Amino acid sequence: MQKSFSLDLLEVGERATIQQLDSSELPSKFYEMGLLPGTVVEIKHKAPFHGPIGLQISNSNLLIAIRKSEALHIFVEK
Amino acid sequence: MKNPVIAFLGNPNVGKTSLFNRITKLHQHVGNYPGITVEKRDGSVKANGKTYRIIDLPGTYTLFPTSMDEEIVYNVLADSENPAHPDLVVVVAEPNNIKRSIVLYQQARELGVPAIFVVNMIDEADAKGIDIDYQKLEAYLHTKVYTTDARNGKGIAQLIQAFDQRPGYFPGQFEVDSTYKIALEEAKKSFPLHTEYQTWQFIAQEHVSFLTKEQRQTLIDIREKYQLSSNILQQTEAIKRNTKIEEDLKTIILQKDNHHLHRTNKIDKVLLHPVWGYIIFFLLLFLVFQLVFILSEPIMDWIDENFSSLIDYTAGVLPEGPLSDLLTQGILAGIGGIIIFVPQIAILFLLISLMEETGYMSRVVFLMDRWLRPYGLNGKSVIPLMSGVGCAVPAIMAARNIENTKERLVTMLVTPFMTCAARLPIYVVLISLVIPNETFLGFGLQGLVLNLLYILGVVAALLSAAVLNKIIKNQHRSFLIFELPSYKTPDWRNVGMNMWEKTAGFLFGAGKIILAMAVILWVLGNFGPNDKFSNAEEYVQQANPTLSEAELDEETASFRLEHSFLGYMGMGIEPLVRPLGYDWKMGIGLISSFAAREVFVGTMATVYSLGEEIDPDDDEERETLLSRMRSEINRNTGRPSYNLASGISLLLFYAFAMQCMSTIAIMKRETGSWKWTLIQTVMMTGIAYIVALIAYQLLK
Repeated sequence: MQKSFSLDLLEVGERATIQQLDSSELPSKFYEMGLLPGTVVEIKHKAPFHGPIGLQISNSNLLIAIRKSEALHIFVEK
Repeated sequence: MKNPVIAFLGNPNVGKTSLFNRITKLHQHVGNYPGITVEKRDGSVKANGKTYRIIDLPGTYTLFPTSMDEEIVYNVLADSENPAHPDLVVVVAEPNNIKRSIVLYQQARELGVPAIFVVNMIDEADAKGIDIDYQKLEAYLHTKVYTTDARNGKGIAQLIQAFDQRPGYFPGQFEVDSTYKIALEEAKKSFPLHTEYQTWQFIAQEHVSFLTKEQRQTLIDIREKYQLSSNILQQTEAIKRNTKIEEDLKTIILQKDNHHLHRTNKIDKVLLHPVWGYIIFFLLLFLVFQLVFILSEPIMDWIDENFSSLIDYTAGVLPEGPLSDLLTQGILAGIGGIIIFVPQIAILFLLISLMEETGYMSRVVFLMDRWLRPYGLNGKSVIPLMSGVGCAVPAIMAARNIENTKERLVTMLVTPFMTCAARLPIYVVLISLVIPNETFLGFGLQGLVLNLLYILGVVAALLSAAVLNKIIKNQHRSFLIFELPSYKTPDWRNVGMNMWEKTAGFLFGAGKIILAMAVILWVLGNFGPNDKFSNAEEYVQQANPTLSEAELDEETASFRLEHSFLGYMGMGIEPLVRPLGYDWKMGIGLISSFAAREVFVGTMATVYSLGEEIDPDDDEERETLLSRMRSEINRNTGRPSYNLASGISLLLFYAFAMQCMSTIAIMKRETGSWKWTLIQTVMMTGIAYIVALIAYQLLK
């Protein structure tokens, strides 16, 4: 399947590659923290009731947490 | 000759502060950067025959600032006029995220600052499955690379030896896109003395505070002319740098399986669990506050006893007179009132810094963001709000790492509603005065009321945040991105340091004001504007010629207080506080405790024992004071001054009112504006007045 969808749709335990970030919606800090196109991320945690999403950036082994409202602007492919 | 300035730069969670503590040992102090309250850790070390000044810059991921802390880092590095501008930057990395540290390193070098590179926590490199080719890394970075482990001191001596290095040449690693070239060339004309990358930074930032107004306007014009958005420029740089470094590092750093993260992930499965995570968090919170009160109790009792005997001793040694009174009842009692809070504050910050050091605090942010967002707050607001239970002053300072200006402001505005340690003595005295010592559903009624007051603080903070959220306009989009660092055993040096800094901040910062107030208060209560004060005895005798000597003394004392400066002030505000059920003596308490809430109890002791020998620290004598307060009659209503209605009204007033000069001072410094400080003071005291009024009128 080669269709991109927003990051928040991934379930805990799923991995995907970031295709693109909606740069007008996200501050540069997202890029600086390592959410760059081509990066493979794995969803590790989801806080209940649409709370933050915890993801592991696989090529640097870091855990990053973002809000669902920002995950909507990050597009990934499985 | 000026001492060479060495600045430590690095991402959060790389052990930068541990390294700083290791090197400077106790030769350090925490101050503020001029004008703004960003903590400035400044230290020194003597080595290589000279003294180096060491600055620990706040942790940052980039030189493009999104928070106040990060702005400081940029200003120190980019502005050569800045007093903290370093001669050498030490970029601190940890094995796990060398890539991100290199971004920072390149940015610093391209701004023209010499830098060396340190891989800290080197002992964890194996556990983290990382293999680094240092020779290649040094060649790539055009500088020396050192390895250290701040926890056991490995490599520290070699690092200090390197403080005289000034690596010169550094080839730019970031090529500006051809699309932006023309804009950059135009900007360079206005900044002939700056490097190309410095100029690029100027264009790519909305607001560079150290430039002149004209220079900033030039940059705004250029951005407008070429339709540039600074956010997009910053993103371009981030993508370019990261992609290139990623590619370049492939042959330098080999990353195998990460055992460290396995462990962290396992722990997180429990601590971030949708159900267990919250249960554990609330249990921990409960435990923290229990510990704060249980552990501090014996120490507080000890301080209490020793201070009483010190006061007694001093009073016994000095000849009787106003000087002795000033020293014992004014100064010593004032100091005692400050020191008594130290155990609680120290223990609270011990526990909070433990949570920070282990990495758990980020998990709290993760768990709580969802629940604070509806109120216009941020997961990061948890830390200020929680610290607010200790003291609002450090709590407001803890709001600095909230990036969003509006969320930061709202957090600071509502934090003082949290029940701080200073409210506790007032609550305890008032509750034991007006709430019957009975049980309700098996719980002590007095304890329940105390709990309710704490809950009330939280509710007030959240509700007012929700209201402020509607009123204040947002300048930036709200966003949240933070790292969940891997769990670590805490570095005790850091914990101890942090605890000491916060406690000292209270002791010497807020303490000054409290002490000054205690002395002013004593003066106001012991001097009067007219002869009704100085010749009180004659007046009383004339009015009641039949009094016995003992009765005369008592009447004189109270007559004298009534005609002291303090008495006149209390009576002056009486019309204002009468609808709340207070009399002029309570008015005195309100006035004096405007400086700091905890002054109230001391003042009440003074007000009711002036001219008598009552020691409020002695249990038996405190009971005397309490019974004295209990039997006090409000001369406006003819009923006891401290009845249920006025007591509840007073409790509510203290729950909401901004009765703390230190908080006001810190708000002014943190927001940089009197506007928000005054809005906060008026809002809180206004709410307090209205709520107390309603409560009294309903209950009386």
